[in-house]
Amino acid sequence: MRARLPVAIVALACVGAAFVLLPVVALFVRAPWSRLGEALSGVGASTALRLSIEVSLAATTISVLIGVPLAWVLARGEFPGRNLLRAAVVLPILLPPVVGGVGLLVALGRSGLVGRWLYDVLGIQLTFTTAGAVLATTFVSMPLVVLATEAGLRGLDRRYERAAAAMGGSPWYVFRRVTLPMVGPQLAAGAILTWARALGEFGATITFAGNLAGRTQTMPLAVYEARQVDPGGAIVLSLILVVISIAVLVALGGRLTGLR
Amino acid sequence: MLAVRRAAVLFAVAAVSVGCSSSSTSTSPAAAATPLTVFAASSLTKAFTQIGQDFHTANPDVTVTFNFGSSTDLAPQIQSEGTADVFASASGTAMDTLQSAPGVTDRTNFATNRLLIITPPDNPAGITSVNDLTRPGVKLVLAAEGVPVGDYAREALKSAGILAQATANVVSNEDDDASVVAKVTSGDADAAIVYTSDVASAGDTVRSVAIPSAVNVVATYPIAVVDGNAYPDQAKAFLDYVVGPTGQATLATFGFGPPSG
Repeated sequence: MRARLPVAIVALACVGAAFVLLPVVALFVRAPWSRLGEALSGVGASTALRLSIEVSLAATTISVLIGVPLAWVLARGEFPGRNLLRAAVVLPILLPPVVGGVGLLVALGRSGLVGRWLYDVLGIQLTFTTAGAVLATTFVSMPLVVLATEAGLRGLDRRYERAAAAMGGSPWYVFRRVTLPMVGPQLAAGAILTWARALGEFGATITFAGNLAGRTQTMPLAVYEARQVDPGGAIVLSLILVVISIAVLVALGGRLTGLR
Repeated sequence: MLAVRRAAVLFAVAAVSVGCSSSSTSTSPAAAATPLTVFAASSLTKAFTQIGQDFHTANPDVTVTFNFGSSTDLAPQIQSEGTADVFASASGTAMDTLQSAPGVTDRTNFATNRLLIITPPDNPAGITSVNDLTRPGVKLVLAAEGVPVGDYAREALKSAGILAQATANVVSNEDDDASVVAKVTSGDADAAIVYTSDVASAGDTVRSVAIPSAVNVVATYPIAVVDGNAYPDQAKAFLDYVVGPTGQATLATFGFGPPSG
């Protein structure tokens, strides 16, 4: 027999659920359904959506490529300042993204600490480019895959790795064939969270990379700009993001939240 | 899967922190004073902050809180939220929106602004005239279409006969003039078109290049008391202060012209 939940908890849970659902429901109710196609083409939805997918996938790929080694060092490395490094890695999650954008600007902008050198020596300017949008997005979203992977590595039973090593596996072989498959689920969940965060990135992108259709204007930026000229179009664009997010959540089942 | 759940919690924290970017400044948090709320165009940020302090000094029983933003954003916010006592707009169109609903009282023009070109102090693209904005490779930043200063800039480029060539050089469409200026002061954009008042605020962090009056656009700023507001008397007093000699002198200091043009 299932235990009955206290009424007060159920009531508060209903408030919580309504609070989260209301804006989403409102978007559906207020969407200009009668002129959906017109609104879609008017705000350049397909261009923004394509760019958003490219930028978020690129950011996720980079995040995994450099974030997983970072997680490994944080989980396995014994060195002074490790906790400080971990705090620094988590920082972009807690910072307002626009602060990240300003930081990137003074670091990698055309007159930035490193950006000045990039521009003067190599002729590379990252601001106002798609690469800049990927960079800003990666900065904000990478910590999620690092944290998830590090937690996975810490929870790992290391006897499997020791056994593989004892049987003559090189460290690289053990990492590839034993460690990586064992943290696979956590890494995948982290990567999906990273991707979801990347898809919604706004503040760092507009601050660092600017806002130009087809180059740096991802979906969230398109929503922001559309509010000015076409509030209905902004709702349509928002709905597309909502639908994509729901689709991902459904496809993953409970995996994203760790409940399945 | 505890770890993943922890990551999900952090993700939620990150999602919450995304939403905090509204810019409002309070002049003084006096307790018993009437809290007047003024929605104003972001180009007025520095001038109105000063005027708000002066007004509070002259009227200690009223504190003025500002919500600065793009006029085109503010008008619908006032319509849906009804929290503004006074609206000062960078365009007649945004004020027209409000005049139709919920209605405004004492609407009057209180300032004008013109456009100019700004570049970083070292002027990397060597911009000396409007026509230089058409040179291939110039990184030009404008405010987005629909934002008053963005529309005015395109109007001026059109008058100069270089709209298509110049907009082909646009690398970013910003949400308000402050963001446009920031892209130039950071040194990332080669040029931008903003208001004269923006340069008065930006000081020597930018270099300015004039736009000839033949093609320049005069932006006229209307101010009005929003109908149905909580403090109509204090709102009218603030409006009178802005239109009066002290307010006008402050506006002139910050690069605005008199309302007559």
